[in-house]
Amino acid sequence: MNPWEESLREALRRKDVPPGFTNRVLARIRELPVRDKRTWFRFRAFIARPALRWATAVLCMAIAVGVAYRGRQDRQRRQGEMARTQVKQALRIASVKLNAARRMVQEVNQGTAQSRL
Amino acid sequence: MITSTLDRSGEALGRLALGDMSAFEDIVKEHQSMVFSIAYHFLHDRSLADEAAQDVFLRLYQNLASIMSPQHLVFWLRKVACQRALDTARKLPKTPPVSLEDIAEPTEESPDTDPLLSEGLRRMVASLPKDARAVIILRYQEELELAEIARILDVPLNTVKSRLERALGVLREKLSRWTGGVAR
Repeated sequence: MNPWEESLREALRRKDVPPGFTNRVLARIRELPVRDKRTWFRFRAFIARPALRWATAVLCMAIAVGVAYRGRQDRQRRQGEMARTQVKQALRIASVKLNAARRMVQEVNQGTAQSRL
Repeated sequence: MITSTLDRSGEALGRLALGDMSAFEDIVKEHQSMVFSIAYHFLHDRSLADEAAQDVFLRLYQNLASIMSPQHLVFWLRKVACQRALDTARKLPKTPPVSLEDIAEPTEESPDTDPLLSEGLRRMVASLPKDARAVIILRYQEELELAEIARILDVPLNTVKSRLERALGVLREKLSRWTGGVAR
Protein backbone atom coordinates (compact mmCIF):
# COMPACT_ATOMS: atom_id res chain seq x y z
CA MET A 1 0.00 0.00 0.00
CA ASN A 2 1.50 3.33 -1.02
CA PRO A 3 1.36 6.41 1.28
CA TRP A 4 -1.75 7.92 -0.23
CA GLU A 5 -3.59 4.60 -0.07
CA GLU A 6 -2.52 4.52 3.56
CA SER A 7 -4.16 7.96 3.93
CA LEU A 8 -7.29 6.54 2.37
CA ARG A 9 -7.29 3.65 4.80
CA GLU A 10 -6.81 6.10 7.64
CA ALA A 11 -9.67 8.30 6.39
CA LEU A 12 -12.00 5.33 6.13
CA ARG A 13 -11.30 3.97 9.58
CA ARG A 14 -14.35 2.66 11.42
CA LYS A 15 -16.33 5.33 13.25
CA ASP A 16 -18.01 5.16 16.61
CA VAL A 17 -21.77 4.94 16.41
CA PRO A 18 -23.85 7.90 17.61
CA PRO A 19 -24.76 7.72 21.32
CA GLY A 20 -27.76 5.53 22.11
CA PHE A 21 -27.52 3.55 18.88
CA THR A 22 -27.87 0.14 20.54
CA ASN A 23 -30.91 1.27 22.53
CA ARG A 24 -32.58 2.61 19.41
CA VAL A 25 -32.06 -0.72 17.64
CA LEU A 26 -33.42 -2.66 20.61
CA ALA A 27 -36.40 -0.29 20.89
CA ARG A 28 -37.28 -0.91 17.25
CA ILE A 29 -37.01 -4.64 17.83
CA ARG A 30 -39.39 -4.38 20.77
CA GLU A 31 -41.91 -2.78 18.39
CA LEU A 32 -41.82 -5.80 16.10
CA PRO A 33 -44.84 -8.13 16.09
CA VAL A 34 -44.80 -10.58 19.01
CA ARG A 35 -44.60 -13.60 16.70
CA ASP A 36 -41.15 -12.53 15.53
CA LYS A 37 -39.92 -12.20 19.05
CA ARG A 38 -41.14 -15.39 20.68
CA THR A 39 -42.59 -18.58 19.26
CA TRP A 40 -41.72 -18.06 15.64
CA PHE A 41 -38.18 -16.94 16.34
CA ARG A 42 -37.58 -19.76 18.78
CA PHE A 43 -38.95 -22.29 16.31
CA ARG A 44 -36.74 -20.96 13.52
CA ALA A 45 -33.75 -20.76 15.82
CA PHE A 46 -34.46 -24.32 16.97
CA ILE A 47 -34.62 -25.80 13.48
CA ALA A 48 -31.56 -23.82 12.48
CA ARG A 49 -29.41 -25.20 15.28
CA PRO A 50 -26.26 -26.82 13.90
CA ALA A 51 -26.78 -29.96 16.02
CA LEU A 52 -30.26 -30.42 14.60
CA ARG A 53 -28.99 -29.86 11.08
CA TRP A 54 -26.32 -32.51 11.57
CA ALA A 55 -28.83 -34.91 13.11
CA THR A 56 -31.14 -34.40 10.12
CA ALA A 57 -28.26 -34.96 7.72
CA VAL A 58 -27.23 -38.17 9.52
CA LEU A 59 -30.85 -39.38 9.56
CA CYS A 60 -31.25 -38.70 5.83
CA MET A 61 -27.98 -40.50 5.17
CA ALA A 62 -29.09 -43.50 7.27
CA ILE A 63 -32.43 -43.64 5.43
CA ALA A 64 -30.64 -43.45 2.07
CA VAL A 65 -28.23 -46.24 3.05
CA GLY A 66 -31.12 -48.34 4.40
CA VAL A 67 -33.16 -47.91 1.22
CA ALA A 68 -30.14 -48.78 -0.93
CA TYR A 69 -29.37 -51.86 1.21
CA ARG A 70 -32.99 -53.02 1.07
CA GLY A 71 -33.09 -52.54 -2.69
CA ARG A 72 -29.94 -54.57 -3.09
CA GLN A 73 -31.35 -57.40 -0.96
CA ASP A 74 -34.57 -57.43 -3.00
CA ARG A 75 -32.60 -57.58 -6.22
CA GLN A 76 -30.48 -60.50 -4.93
CA ARG A 77 -33.61 -62.35 -3.76
CA ARG A 78 -35.26 -61.92 -7.14
CA GLN A 79 -32.12 -63.17 -8.92
CA GLY A 80 -31.99 -66.20 -6.58
CA GLU A 81 -35.63 -67.06 -7.26
CA MET A 82 -35.09 -66.75 -10.98
CA ALA A 83 -32.04 -69.03 -10.81
CA ARG A 84 -33.99 -71.64 -8.80
CA THR A 85 -36.81 -71.61 -11.34
CA GLN A 86 -34.32 -72.06 -14.17
CA VAL A 87 -32.60 -74.98 -12.37
CA LYS A 88 -35.99 -76.66 -11.74
CA GLN A 89 -36.92 -76.28 -15.37
CA ALA A 90 -33.57 -77.66 -16.48
CA LEU A 91 -34.01 -80.65 -14.17
CA ARG A 92 -37.51 -81.21 -15.51
CA ILE A 93 -36.26 -81.17 -19.11
CA ALA A 94 -33.38 -83.47 -18.22
CA SER A 95 -35.78 -85.85 -16.51
CA VAL A 96 -38.07 -85.99 -19.55
CA LYS A 97 -35.11 -86.64 -21.83
CA LEU A 98 -33.75 -89.35 -19.55
CA ASN A 99 -37.12 -91.07 -19.37
CA ALA A 100 -37.36 -91.01 -23.15
CA ALA A 101 -33.86 -92.42 -23.46
CA ARG A 102 -34.62 -95.13 -20.90
CA ARG A 103 -37.76 -96.10 -22.79
CA MET A 104 -35.80 -96.35 -26.02
CA VAL A 105 -33.14 -98.50 -24.36
CA GLN A 106 -35.85 -100.75 -22.92
CA GLU A 107 -37.50 -101.05 -26.34
CA VAL A 108 -34.15 -101.86 -27.95
CA ASN A 109 -33.43 -104.50 -25.27
CA GLN A 110 -36.88 -106.05 -25.66
CA GLY A 111 -36.42 -106.19 -29.47
CA THR A 112 -33.05 -107.93 -29.09
CA ALA A 113 -34.45 -110.49 -26.68
CA GLN A 114 -37.35 -111.30 -28.97
CA SER A 115 -35.04 -111.76 -31.94
CA ARG A 116 -32.89 -114.21 -29.91
CA LEU A 117 -35.94 -116.27 -29.06
CA MET B 1 -8.61 -9.31 17.72
CA ILE B 2 -10.60 -10.57 14.73
CA THR B 3 -10.61 -14.04 16.25
CA SER B 4 -11.87 -12.75 19.58
CA THR B 5 -14.64 -10.84 17.78
CA LEU B 6 -15.63 -14.05 16.02
CA ASP B 7 -15.41 -15.96 19.31
CA ARG B 8 -17.69 -13.47 21.03
CA SER B 9 -20.10 -13.53 18.10
CA GLY B 10 -20.10 -17.33 18.10
CA GLU B 11 -20.81 -17.42 21.80
CA ALA B 12 -23.63 -14.87 21.39
CA LEU B 13 -25.13 -16.85 18.48
CA GLY B 14 -25.07 -19.97 20.64
CA ARG B 15 -26.92 -18.16 23.43
CA LEU B 16 -29.44 -16.82 20.92
CA ALA B 17 -30.11 -20.33 19.63
CA LEU B 18 -30.97 -21.31 23.18
CA GLY B 19 -33.47 -18.46 23.37
CA ASP B 20 -31.36 -15.91 25.25
CA MET B 21 -32.45 -12.71 23.54
CA SER B 22 -29.98 -10.55 25.49
CA ALA B 23 -27.27 -12.06 23.29
CA PHE B 24 -28.59 -10.01 20.38
CA GLU B 25 -27.59 -6.83 22.20
CA ASP B 26 -24.05 -8.19 22.43
CA ILE B 27 -24.06 -8.88 18.69
CA VAL B 28 -25.23 -5.33 17.96
CA LYS B 29 -22.53 -3.86 20.21
CA GLU B 30 -19.87 -6.05 18.63
CA HIS B 31 -20.64 -5.10 15.03
CA GLN B 32 -22.37 -1.72 15.17
CA SER B 33 -19.21 0.21 14.42
CA MET B 34 -18.54 -1.81 11.27
CA VAL B 35 -22.11 -1.51 9.98
CA PHE B 36 -22.46 2.17 10.84
CA SER B 37 -19.09 3.01 9.26
CA ILE B 38 -19.95 1.26 5.99
CA ALA B 39 -23.17 3.25 5.83
CA TYR B 40 -21.51 6.49 6.93
CA HIS B 41 -18.65 6.30 4.45
CA PHE B 42 -21.15 5.46 1.75
CA LEU B 43 -23.68 8.19 2.53
CA HIS B 44 -21.47 10.75 4.27
CA ASP B 45 -24.40 11.65 6.52
CA ARG B 46 -24.51 10.55 10.14
CA SER B 47 -28.29 10.52 10.57
CA LEU B 48 -28.88 8.61 7.33
CA ALA B 49 -26.11 6.19 8.27
CA ASP B 50 -27.61 5.76 11.74
CA GLU B 51 -30.99 4.87 10.26
CA ALA B 52 -29.49 2.55 7.65
CA ALA B 53 -27.41 0.75 10.28
CA GLN B 54 -30.49 0.32 12.49
CA ASP B 55 -32.34 -1.20 9.54
CA VAL B 56 -29.47 -3.63 8.97
CA PHE B 57 -29.67 -4.90 12.55
CA LEU B 58 -33.44 -5.11 12.35
CA ARG B 59 -33.11 -7.28 9.26
CA LEU B 60 -30.49 -9.34 11.05
CA TYR B 61 -32.92 -9.91 13.91
CA GLN B 62 -35.57 -11.09 11.47
CA ASN B 63 -33.11 -13.38 9.69
CA LEU B 64 -31.14 -14.73 12.64
CA ALA B 65 -32.17 -18.28 11.88
CA SER B 66 -30.34 -18.16 8.56
CA ILE B 67 -27.00 -17.23 10.16
CA MET B 68 -24.75 -20.29 10.10
CA SER B 69 -21.62 -19.12 11.89
CA PRO B 70 -19.81 -16.01 13.21
CA GLN B 71 -17.99 -15.69 9.87
CA HIS B 72 -21.30 -15.87 8.05
CA LEU B 73 -22.68 -13.22 10.41
CA VAL B 74 -19.91 -10.76 9.52
CA PHE B 75 -20.25 -11.53 5.81
CA TRP B 76 -24.03 -11.08 6.03
CA LEU B 77 -23.75 -7.77 7.90
CA ARG B 78 -21.27 -6.34 5.38
CA LYS B 79 -23.40 -7.46 2.45
CA VAL B 80 -26.66 -6.11 3.84
CA ALA B 81 -25.00 -2.88 5.02
CA CYS B 82 -23.73 -2.28 1.48
CA GLN B 83 -27.12 -3.09 -0.03
CA ARG B 84 -28.94 -0.85 2.45
CA ALA B 85 -26.51 2.04 1.91
CA LEU B 86 -26.85 1.60 -1.85
CA ASP B 87 -30.67 1.66 -1.58
CA THR B 88 -30.59 4.80 0.56
CA ALA B 89 -28.20 6.49 -1.83
CA ARG B 90 -30.48 5.64 -4.76
CA LYS B 91 -33.47 7.22 -3.00
CA LEU B 92 -31.62 10.44 -2.24
CA PRO B 93 -32.28 13.36 -4.55
CA LYS B 94 -29.58 13.51 -7.17
CA THR B 95 -26.90 15.94 -6.07
CA PRO B 96 -23.97 17.05 -8.16
CA PRO B 97 -20.67 15.44 -7.20
CA VAL B 98 -18.73 17.31 -4.55
CA SER B 99 -16.53 19.79 -6.28
CA LEU B 100 -12.98 20.31 -5.22
CA GLU B 101 -13.83 23.87 -4.28
CA ASP B 102 -16.18 22.59 -1.59
CA ILE B 103 -13.32 20.95 0.21
CA ALA B 104 -11.22 23.19 2.37
CA GLU B 105 -7.66 23.68 1.19
CA PRO B 106 -5.06 21.95 3.29
CA THR B 107 -2.89 24.50 4.99
CA GLU B 108 0.32 22.53 4.78
CA GLU B 109 1.75 19.26 3.58
CA SER B 110 -0.33 16.72 5.45
CA PRO B 111 0.82 13.67 7.35
CA ASP B 112 -1.23 10.48 7.04
CA THR B 113 -3.42 11.27 10.01
CA ASP B 114 -4.19 14.84 9.02
CA PRO B 115 -7.90 15.26 9.87
CA LEU B 116 -8.34 17.74 7.03
CA LEU B 117 -6.92 15.31 4.51
CA SER B 118 -9.03 12.52 5.96
CA GLU B 119 -12.20 14.58 5.68
CA GLY B 120 -11.28 15.54 2.12
CA LEU B 121 -10.74 11.91 1.20
CA ARG B 122 -14.02 10.88 2.79
CA ARG B 123 -15.85 13.52 0.73
CA MET B 124 -14.07 12.38 -2.41
CA VAL B 125 -15.05 8.77 -1.69
CA ALA B 126 -18.65 9.88 -1.11
CA SER B 127 -18.63 11.56 -4.53
CA LEU B 128 -17.57 8.38 -6.37
CA PRO B 129 -20.12 6.36 -8.36
CA LYS B 130 -22.03 4.06 -5.98
CA ASP B 131 -20.56 0.77 -7.18
CA ALA B 132 -17.01 2.04 -7.01
CA ARG B 133 -17.70 3.57 -3.59
CA ALA B 134 -18.72 0.21 -2.21
CA VAL B 135 -15.51 -1.39 -3.48
CA ILE B 136 -13.36 1.37 -1.98
CA ILE B 137 -15.09 1.18 1.40
CA LEU B 138 -14.82 -2.59 1.62
CA ARG B 139 -11.20 -2.47 0.49
CA TYR B 140 -9.91 0.34 2.70
CA GLN B 141 -12.31 0.39 5.66
CA GLU B 142 -12.78 -3.36 6.03
CA GLU B 143 -9.41 -4.24 4.44
CA LEU B 144 -10.92 -7.13 2.52
CA GLU B 145 -9.35 -9.14 -0.28
CA LEU B 146 -10.77 -8.51 -3.74
CA ALA B 147 -12.28 -12.01 -3.91
CA GLU B 148 -14.15 -11.39 -0.67
CA ILE B 149 -15.41 -8.02 -1.98
CA ALA B 150 -16.62 -9.78 -5.13
CA ARG B 151 -18.51 -12.27 -2.98
CA ILE B 152 -20.13 -9.55 -0.87
CA LEU B 153 -21.15 -7.41 -3.84
CA ASP B 154 -22.06 -10.48 -5.88
CA VAL B 155 -20.05 -9.39 -8.92
CA PRO B 156 -17.17 -11.06 -10.82
CA LEU B 157 -13.67 -10.59 -9.47
CA ASN B 158 -12.55 -8.77 -12.61
CA THR B 159 -15.36 -6.26 -12.17
CA VAL B 160 -14.12 -5.52 -8.66
CA LYS B 161 -10.57 -5.10 -9.96
CA SER B 162 -11.61 -2.71 -12.69
CA ARG B 163 -13.89 -0.70 -10.37
CA LEU B 164 -11.12 -0.42 -7.82
CA GLU B 165 -8.54 0.68 -10.38
CA ARG B 166 -10.91 3.23 -11.87
CA ALA B 167 -11.95 4.57 -8.46
CA LEU B 168 -8.35 4.82 -7.29
CA GLY B 169 -7.48 6.65 -10.49
CA VAL B 170 -10.25 9.19 -9.92
CA LEU B 171 -9.34 9.62 -6.25
CA ARG B 172 -5.65 9.98 -7.05
CA GLU B 173 -6.40 12.64 -9.63
CA LYS B 174 -8.74 14.53 -7.31
CA LEU B 175 -6.29 14.32 -4.46
CA SER B 176 -3.46 15.45 -6.68
CA ARG B 177 -5.45 18.49 -7.83
CA TRP B 178 -6.59 19.21 -4.27
CA THR B 179 -3.11 19.12 -2.83
CA GLY B 180 -1.64 20.95 -5.79
CA GLY B 181 0.25 17.95 -7.17
CA VAL B 182 1.84 16.93 -3.89
CA ALA B 183 0.07 13.57 -3.60
CA ARG B 184 1.40 10.59 -5.57
